[in-house]
Amino acid sequence: MKDIREDIAWAKINQDVLKSLENPRKLYWVILFIALAMLGVAVGCEVYQYEVGMGVANMDNPHMWGLYIATFIFWIGMSHSGTLLSAILHLMHADWRKPIYRFAEAMTTFSLLTAGLFVAVHLGRVWQIYYALPYPNERGTWPNFQSPLLWDAMAIFTYLSSSIIFLYVGMIPDLAICRDRIHEGWRKKLYTLLSLGWEGTDRQWRNFRVTYLTVACFLIPLAVSVHSIVASDFGMSQQPGWHITSFPPYFVAGALYSGCAAIITLFIILRYVFRFEEYMTLPILKKIVRLTFAIAMVWTYLNAVEFASVWYSHDQASKDVLIQKASGTYAPFWWAMIFCGSIVPLVLAFKRFQTNIPVLFAVSLLLNLGMWLERWMIVAPTFSHGIYPWTWDHDQWPSFVQWGMVFGSFGWFTLLFMVFCKVFPSVSMYEVKEMVYHRSQQSKKQEETGKFAAAGKGAH
Amino acid sequence: MSISNLLENWSQFRHTHPVEDKPHDPYKWAMSIDLDACSGCNACSVACYAENNLPVVGKEKYANGQVMHWIRIEHYWDEDVGEEGGREFPDQGAQFLPMMCQQCEAAPCETVCPVGATNHTPDGLNSQIYNRCIGSRYCSANCPYKVRYFNWYDYPSTENIWPAEMTQQLNPDVTVRGKGVMEKCTFCVQRLAAAKVTAKSEGRIVQDGEVQTACQQACPTSAISFGNLVDPESRVHKQWRAQQVELDKDKQAKDEKEGGTELRGYRILEDMRPYPSVMYLERVRESAI
Amino acid sequence: MGQRHLLAMYSNFDEAEAVVKELRSTQIKGFDVNRDLIVKSPIEHPEVEEFLGDKPVYVQWFTLGGALMGGLLGFFLISAAQANFFAQFKGGKPIVPLPPNFVLTYEMFILGGVFITVLGFLICAGLPARRSPLYSSTVSEDQIGILVKSDESAANTLKGIFTKHNALEIQEEAGK
Repeated sequence: MKDIREDIAWAKINQDVLKSLENPRKLYWVILFIALAMLGVAVGCEVYQYEVGMGVANMDNPHMWGLYIATFIFWIGMSHSGTLLSAILHLMHADWRKPIYRFAEAMTTFSLLTAGLFVAVHLGRVWQIYYALPYPNERGTWPNFQSPLLWDAMAIFTYLSSSIIFLYVGMIPDLAICRDRIHEGWRKKLYTLLSLGWEGTDRQWRNFRVTYLTVACFLIPLAVSVHSIVASDFGMSQQPGWHITSFPPYFVAGALYSGCAAIITLFIILRYVFRFEEYMTLPILKKIVRLTFAIAMVWTYLNAVEFASVWYSHDQASKDVLIQKASGTYAPFWWAMIFCGSIVPLVLAFKRFQTNIPVLFAVSLLLNLGMWLERWMIVAPTFSHGIYPWTWDHDQWPSFVQWGMVFGSFGWFTLLFMVFCKVFPSVSMYEVKEMVYHRSQQSKKQEETGKFAAAGKGAH
Repeated sequence: MSISNLLENWSQFRHTHPVEDKPHDPYKWAMSIDLDACSGCNACSVACYAENNLPVVGKEKYANGQVMHWIRIEHYWDEDVGEEGGREFPDQGAQFLPMMCQQCEAAPCETVCPVGATNHTPDGLNSQIYNRCIGSRYCSANCPYKVRYFNWYDYPSTENIWPAEMTQQLNPDVTVRGKGVMEKCTFCVQRLAAAKVTAKSEGRIVQDGEVQTACQQACPTSAISFGNLVDPESRVHKQWRAQQVELDKDKQAKDEKEGGTELRGYRILEDMRPYPSVMYLERVRESAI
Repeated sequence: MGQRHLLAMYSNFDEAEAVVKELRSTQIKGFDVNRDLIVKSPIEHPEVEEFLGDKPVYVQWFTLGGALMGGLLGFFLISAAQANFFAQFKGGKPIVPLPPNFVLTYEMFILGGVFITVLGFLICAGLPARRSPLYSSTVSEDQIGILVKSDESAANTLKGIFTKHNALEIQEEAGK
């Protein structure tokens, strides 16, 4: 089966994609409403926490960090697969990414925005958050450049602004299409403004190609560095269970893993909601599923490496934390993480499930549940069973405020993402045309050589 | 100008700490705590509450682990109860350990603060700037001793923390912390500052015994001694030297000796290299009770 | 003499290529093929660049400059800030510690690279641009447009070439 029909007329591509800006299925509005309601829960929790203090989140000494930081890592991780699809696969000339990379990139941007919010809600004095920015001021004070948290801030700022730019630059030709096609109204004005007068001239395309390639080259090391830095938040500290050398690659693998799982989920939703069956085809889904399976196995391996290196390290404190994870208060969640992260993806190895939409939908959600649990299992157990025995405390449980915020963040992300998909084309029209064009050229060539071969045979 | 400053003073900016080539001068505040003398009476903790305006959070928050004691008395029990030749009751083997901020010379909390709210002062304290703190709680996450306490609530405005008439007993030399900032033992920095100012105006340095921390002052058994480690006449200096505990070592020479040593001085989690400024003297009595 | 703009639309790249080749090989008075010819296409098509002849792209120089500037600025800004801030020790580390500064320099290197590349793209591609005198919205759909500017006298010759290669549509407008 082919990734995409080669005989789709280019005008039809425009039409189909632009339709997604106009009339999605009813489910779209249902999703939007649910997302808004979920966001409301988080806003309520934040207002309460802001007014009363961090104590209502039920953190204590030693449980200084909780679900906020775990979910922060989760969202940062989610953002990585957008870069994987748009940058790494771009450099590898994997053109099957073309119909799906736009929404993956939007996912990158919005999950970074969500992650940024978690830094804010985590702070005890969120109203002073600007202290962490390196801005010149009359007191001559600067943030502490040694802190991994500051690297985090810097890396996230770089990543967020770069991926917004990348998303936007890659969208300019499509915005020009929207400008030319859409009816009068505020959106026409918006597209006219944003498309910067793009007309597809040779000069524009020439510079566009180089720019896109260059930014893609920058984004790959950037994405790797961002999650390595998040891993440094833990790896650079001295706490048992965190002070592990393999953390950066482990985090990056986990990030790609949860991102790919999220792409499968959103792929299935968008395909149905916006009627993108022609473009988000099952063969493409199959490719992402296989990629996800491969990354799942890498993650499983790195997980095993982490356990092994802790187990043979002769560091009793780290070992105790590991034992606690497997047998203490957090054991059900820890084993659930192993199950969802390493056992469930085995389903993806079977060919008949690789294109089975209901199964994939369920599996992708389970994978992401597993990855969220993984982050929680990195953060929480270390606090409950640290170096200093007097502070061991295995019974602290996050309050509804923390859970509400985590719950609401999914609403916030979905809201942003769904609004984006309705306002901007979530399938890259010009690149699908390129894909269709190149593939039809190729098959034409094949036919010709086939003919030649046949003719040669006859003449012989 | 910044860059010329950077280049001119490069070697100074590349100096690491603590090392022998540039010791503290003229002050390095340090402590030694004799666990043999400690009876676990908690007077130090109470004195600290009074001196440093610590909020009394109440039963419920205490149970939630949100207590604010800058100095805490830790109880440990021997676990040989019921074994052959073991103790009859666990309390017989009870030990106490007063634990407060160890004012590490290479403090893990300092490097990780994103805004630089916790720094090392020239007189060897691990300072905390409440106004600068944004409450990321990374310092506490990285503190091996978990002696940093966070203002989970806005205690000054909470009912029954300091009822109206009790605000009169608050120490005017110490700020009252609002919600969302980290705090911890300061070695009673307000007393140190006052003593230093007095000494400076008289053209000398602070003498031993001239300044006491609140916990030291309140200790009925004089288990805590505090002073200037640089001053060879100070009690702390003498104790540290007698116990052969050196500030800038992550492994003391005396511990290398085969068969061990009779000396009681040790520092907690020394091998993690925070270079703590508090020396504990091991208990000699069999039980604290 | 007056100027005239012509825009011819083609349904595939082969025809467009043939037109450009013919325009390049024919000497037409009042029309300079390197200056007055613009090809508009709905997709990024490397062959267009080939048949238009080598035209240089300068974006990568912006990238180089931006990345180096970002990196240097990052390192010196951070180190100078550390040196001028209350020079207090943190965790026993040097006041200007190199490993963290390297991490931040790396981030600034990328940040500078990305920002200046995009700036370079806008400058080199001439965006935001004024809309050209003739435009057909079919370019954003599936047709290839060839926009030429010439003296009045050359207009008819050009039109002849366009129609010879099956132009779907020819728009014209008197230029200034």
